[in-house]
Amino acid sequence: MERADVAIIGGGLIGCAAAWRLAQRGARVVLLEAGEHNAGASGQNAGSLHFQLERRFLEQGEALAEQAARIATLNVLAVADWRAIECELGADLHVSMAGGLMVAETREEVALLEAKAAREAAAGLAVRLIDGDAARALAPYLAKSVIAACHLTDEGHADPRALTPALAAAARAAGAAIREGCRVEAIKTPAPGRFVLRTAAGGVTAAQLLIAAGAWSASVAAMANIHLPMVPVALQMNATERIAPAIPHLIQHVGRRLSLKQAHAGNVLIGGGWPARMAVRSDGGFDLARRPALSETSLAGNLRAAIDVVPMLARLNLIRTWTGTTAITADQLPIVGPVPRLPGLWVAGGGSAFTLGLTFARLIANAMGGERVRELDLFGPARFDHLNSFMGAA
Amino acid sequence: MDVAIVGGGPAGQAAALQLAAAGIAATVIDEQPRAGGQILRQPPSAVAVRDWLAGRSYRALKAQLAAFEDCNAVTWRGGTSVIGLSMNEDGAGLTLADGSGVERLHARHVLVAAGCHDLAVPMPGWTLPGVQPAGAVQAMLKSQQMLPEGATLFAGTHPLQLIVAAQLVRAGATVAGVHFAQPLRRFATWLSPAAAIARSADLADALAALATLRRARVPVRFGSAISAIEGAMRVERAIVDGVPIACDQVALCYGFVPQSALPRMAGATMRAAGPAGGFATVADDWMASSVPGLWVAGETTGVQGAPAAACEGAIAGIGIAQTMRAFDLREAERRAAPFRAAYVQHRTFAAVLDRIADPRDHFPPIAPDTIVCRCEAVPRAALAGGSANAVKLASRCGMGLCQGRNCEPTLLRLLGAPDGPGFTARFPARPVALGMLAGD
Ligand SMILES: Cc1cc2nc3c(=O)[nH]c(=O)nc-3n(C[C@H](O)[C@H](O)[C@H](O)COP(=O)(O)OP(=O)(O)OC[C@H]3O[C@@H](n4cnc5c(N)ncnc54)[C@H](O)[C@@H]3O)c2cc1C
Ligand SMILES: Cc1cc2nc3c(=O)[nH]c(=O)nc-3n(C[C@H](O)[C@H](O)[C@H](O)COP(=O)(O)OP(=O)(O)OC[C@H]3O[C@@H](n4cnc5c(N)ncnc54)[C@H](O)[C@@H]3O)c2cc1C
Repeated sequence: MERADVAIIGGGLIGCAAAWRLAQRGARVVLLEAGEHNAGASGQNAGSLHFQLERRFLEQGEALAEQAARIATLNVLAVADWRAIECELGADLHVSMAGGLMVAETREEVALLEAKAAREAAAGLAVRLIDGDAARALAPYLAKSVIAACHLTDEGHADPRALTPALAAAARAAGAAIREGCRVEAIKTPAPGRFVLRTAAGGVTAAQLLIAAGAWSASVAAMANIHLPMVPVALQMNATERIAPAIPHLIQHVGRRLSLKQAHAGNVLIGGGWPARMAVRSDGGFDLARRPALSETSLAGNLRAAIDVVPMLARLNLIRTWTGTTAITADQLPIVGPVPRLPGLWVAGGGSAFTLGLTFARLIANAMGGERVRELDLFGPARFDHLNSFMGAA
Repeated sequence: MDVAIVGGGPAGQAAALQLAAAGIAATVIDEQPRAGGQILRQPPSAVAVRDWLAGRSYRALKAQLAAFEDCNAVTWRGGTSVIGLSMNEDGAGLTLADGSGVERLHARHVLVAAGCHDLAVPMPGWTLPGVQPAGAVQAMLKSQQMLPEGATLFAGTHPLQLIVAAQLVRAGATVAGVHFAQPLRRFATWLSPAAAIARSADLADALAALATLRRARVPVRFGSAISAIEGAMRVERAIVDGVPIACDQVALCYGFVPQSALPRMAGATMRAAGPAGGFATVADDWMASSVPGLWVAGETTGVQGAPAAACEGAIAGIGIAQTMRAFDLREAERRAAPFRAAYVQHRTFAAVLDRIADPRDHFPPIAPDTIVCRCEAVPRAALAGGSANAVKLASRCGMGLCQGRNCEPTLLRLLGAPDGPGFTARFPARPVALGMLAGD
């Protein structure tokens, strides 16, 4: 039985970043990854660094928008984390923070932008609302139909292909053990502050356990007899052929599902939360082992939105559409913090964790190291503790 | 629509004709403007070509093609690529793209008879202009009567290079030599009575090709391996057995791999295709794949040559007609019997050919800076990681326009896992303009 201070389940961005931060603090860390690191959502995402409030937070009415706006405090921290990361890791992650524009095409959408900008200003994000011509002066490739945009100079994109491998390498260099092909099959809690994990390749025992298993987190938490209101969702992404640099910004839409940017290699990546369809098991649950099926409706809708906003895209060839599975939570906010019902058990995930994952990992490593981390107060699993009234170490 | 057939080669034609005989109409979709497939690649109707494919082994196939083109039950959709295939309870959803737009098609049954393509074989210099797969040289010749300029050197392990070289010579082009990496004794099995009887026409064509080359004093060498191609802006010479040979074109011929994009996209069970690599779709006795409603025939199920492809196509057509209750199982077996009998013979020959052409001990060396993925210019040295998908993510190998079709067999070989798993198949099977997909 291998002994560790901290065991981490999941070798995505969050797991690898947490392993690195915890190992830097001197903890003995063992990370267990079922497959290969970066094979989950962390290697399949769009690479957007979006620090403006996301459209999905704004479309569910005032109350939820108000609550979700709290995420802006994390966004502010994430800007700083992203500015520092290439230097800290000594790796080229193709980070580009040349600014982002969230566009509007109708009057109602402009009103949404206005409300959004007010919330963001309150949280300390320097978002600027500009009209269509000013947007086109910055980004001449935008269509005439764009009548306003929110501009945030910190936004941009980075390379999901590079980030998690660089974090895994840094974690290893700092002394963490990262074991691939090690699916955790059972979690035992024989005593408070003791977790015993079983894998086909042997067992691990640790005083603290971090679940960073992305879309699988709820199933993994079930192994510890805990309910975690994180649900898997399948998304679809598109890549064009490579072209010469043409689109330096991250482009999003406040009223339609759209995010697009030109990646370092030259391909334009087009997404924005268009759903794919998850496979279903014969007993009715979602089958995360099978690849989600592409939705042609999403494909056409996504490309329509992209072309409406950036007309020159119509001529480019689509070379690849892919699907990936990520996790969102019951109230849209991430779940990052300790599980009250089982001392020593921690969770980090949910939401846009490419943008925010580095920040989650840094904060949770501090918290697991015994620091009081106020920034996480709003995001801990404690807010769902009622779901676990009948669960835990019974 | 009841039946859609992807591919108008020997397999697709044979299936359509059997369906027609059962009173079932089929739509046949092919990205080539005219029917024929790889082996009978037709010149555009505007181009008159004399003695088009005169060889003996083409006769039966040409007769079938003529019947297909005369068949009223066939709706021909040439110049149209199938870029997506998904299967559900009520059949197949196909996404088609032609020059003018994208269209969705639903069919209760779909037959994928998409053929095969040349195995891409990296070696130092293989990305220089002037290096082509032998199949591409042949396709240009068959369809356009276009001849390569200057002298073409053939190298590889597949006997097809004899045929293509002789076709070039007959058309008036210069061939610098035909180099087989394997020793001559590997060809001895070809002369075994079983193989000779099974496919005497092919043997006759091969011998005729040899005679043509001999008359033209083209050196045909065995145990003679190419290791690199050199030139400043384009091909100037090939290094064969360590010695430079001047030439203007190099045609490489190490074998063929099945087109597998559509069955993989649809989730069909695949198997390793054979010595040249790639993946073949697993099919039952009636050419049904593991996914209900998806049928496969021809080189899609493994590379066995045109006559075997035609037999499989016929069996698939009969199988689909039987599933649609055109006749009962006994009648289906009766109709299939001659094709099953012929198929056994063709298979015997295909197995012999596989052994003769087996490239595995004869691949040229790949240097660290040799490009493996041509679309994304990824050299061998950049390939690190575990699975094919992980290497793709880390290095971009397989992320380009061809969707990894060309580099996948080489990558799997280099990873020491030639039987896969390969890349996850992604939509679209061919690049297509965004505007068309958005419905412009
Ligand atoms: C198509 C798509 C586009 C996206 N675009 C963006 C974007 O532009 N910007 C943004 O901020 N976010 C984006 N996201 C979300 C972002 O990718 C995820 O939030 C983030 O990658 C989550 O990282 P993770 O480490 O939590 O999970 P993952 O990367 O999914 O890692 C979880 C890991 O846990 C492992 N695991 C599961 N079960 C077990 C077990 N029992 N034992 C051991 N290991 C196990 C899995 O194998 C997996 O590797 C996108 C997501 C998708 C799918
Ligand atoms: C260059 C070359 C030369 C060959 N020469 C010989 C030879 O001399 N003798 C021999 O026995 N065999 C030869 N073969 C093997 C040959 O392909 C077959 O024997 C025969 O043509 C197979 O018939 P098929 O119907 O399976 O496929 P094919 O004849 O290849 O027909 C498949 C058709 O499907 C179409 N298609 C494929 N994918 C799509 C798509 N996504 N959308 C729309 N259409 C699609 C193609 O355009 C093609 O017309 C050759 C193969 C190649 C590649």
